[in-house]
Amino acid sequence: MKYDVLIIGGGLGGLECGYILSRAGQRVLILEQGRQPGGCLQSYHRKGMEFDTGFHYAGGLDEGQSLHAAFRHLGLLELPWRRLDADNFDCVTINRHSFPFAQGHDAFANRLAEAFPAERAALHRYAGLLKRAARLQFAAFSPQSSDMDLITELMETPAYKYLYEHFKDPLLINVLSGASLKMELRPESLPLFAFLHGNGCFIESSWRLKGSGSLITDSLVQGIRAQGGEIVCQSEVQELVEKDGKLTQAVCTNGETYESRLFVSDIHPAQTCRMVRNGQRIKPLYRERIQCLPQTFGMFTVSLRFAPGKLRYFNRNHYIYRNPDVWTFHLDNRPVSGVLASCRVPEDDSGYTRQVDLLTPMNWEYCKAWKDRRDNSYEEMKKQTAGECIALAESILPGLGEAETAYTSTPLTWNRYTLTPEGSAYGLRKDCRAALQTFLSPRTPIPNLFLTGQNVGLHGLHGVTMTAFQTCAGILGKDAVWEMLNGNCKGGN
Amino acid sequence: MTREEIVKQVNSLLAEEFEVNATNFTPDANVKETLNLDSLSLVDLVALVQQTYKVKIPASDLRGIQTFNNLYDYIESHLPQA
Repeated sequence: MKYDVLIIGGGLGGLECGYILSRAGQRVLILEQGRQPGGCLQSYHRKGMEFDTGFHYAGGLDEGQSLHAAFRHLGLLELPWRRLDADNFDCVTINRHSFPFAQGHDAFANRLAEAFPAERAALHRYAGLLKRAARLQFAAFSPQSSDMDLITELMETPAYKYLYEHFKDPLLINVLSGASLKMELRPESLPLFAFLHGNGCFIESSWRLKGSGSLITDSLVQGIRAQGGEIVCQSEVQELVEKDGKLTQAVCTNGETYESRLFVSDIHPAQTCRMVRNGQRIKPLYRERIQCLPQTFGMFTVSLRFAPGKLRYFNRNHYIYRNPDVWTFHLDNRPVSGVLASCRVPEDDSGYTRQVDLLTPMNWEYCKAWKDRRDNSYEEMKKQTAGECIALAESILPGLGEAETAYTSTPLTWNRYTLTPEGSAYGLRKDCRAALQTFLSPRTPIPNLFLTGQNVGLHGLHGVTMTAFQTCAGILGKDAVWEMLNGNCKGGN
Repeated sequence: MTREEIVKQVNSLLAEEFEVNATNFTPDANVKETLNLDSLSLVDLVALVQQTYKVKIPASDLRGIQTFNNLYDYIESHLPQA
């Protein structure tokens, strides 16, 4: 049996490519090393409840917004999305002062201008740039030329520098950056494009699922199977065989081999290169440049479980910081001085939540000592870090300390379950000083091997989804993908 | 580093990494055509220059680098001061 497209890795990017390509009539096989697909989106079960790992909310789902067309094509708009509070979907608290974010570009600027009246004009200009960046990203799929010069300029501009040139009040800069725990803020390297992308779609509109992130995975898996695609779990690819300048087959650790015409890799690009052992196409220069790209930080998570009727549901995310050092606090791991608190939509519509997730950055350097030796000191570290996360979050959300149980994970856990190097939460670090090298192309030196996933373009639900469409544009052509995004494709839903 | 040293070292590096005979590297020859670079291997070139000389070439400047002379000029004028 020969497939049209073999996809290595069943994370969000791999599943989305599998869905798009199988819907376009390609014979697709996805090989996933883990027990279940989902990658960074997968959930885990504890005592009858499902806990999320990487997914907390989505942005830009309303018609005409950043993710609407892509999710419509992927059949994901049908999921039970619940809109977060229109006038307070993200609440940034710094040193006990809270600043609510409102949905909609004008409302966002106006709401923050209540606290920073002198910056009203600058806030509206920033909102305008967010809107423009979102349009640019979508237009990049157009077969007609898009404004790539501006995208390149945004990729090569440091976000930190932009903020300090456009706003006068350092507290406002911290507040505007405060909902950015969903990316790695680094003053010297974070590109403005990544910053705008990571914040923009949530400001358009923000949504939570009623249920876990596995609803997304399950929906894609069902769609792929209904469209004739296959997904095989516990099947780890160990080698990609190159013959006459093209890949011909994937060899798995369990001895199975699969032939295909095209290959898409949703795993780390460096790992992908290592799988091509005896090829001629990937030169040492490409291999080395991919190999030496740094990873973003990992995350420490605390999943709290509450008895029914104990903790009021809050229809927003809280970003809570001890000090106005949003851009740098993560460089020191202790004590915890910034945390994201998110909660699960009540299954019973009772107004009380059963689950709260707390997340704080954790560097690989800090936890790697325990990689091969998870002794008591590792347990102690987890317990203490969880306690610090809860204490910081409880300053805004009283009652968190009354959780029945707390489950924790570290970058080591992430590394073990997803095989992500260094347990990195957001993949390869994008760097405005080396934009060409850090925003990777889905193309590779091997003409029938493509890359996808959070390491290639931007991360998160939005970033990975846009990259999946880009990867598929390399296979199906830009015109075909443009038609999909404009709702003109044949077949499927 | 003198201009001659830069030319000699850059030529030797490019010949080795892109497997092209350095005798083809005339000052006015087109870099992309001579080294047979596509958009991916062009990024390899940018990474190589950055790694070897600590000289960053932004996308906007890359467009201006057409010939070998342009490349030598760019490296020479952007070399960090010792």
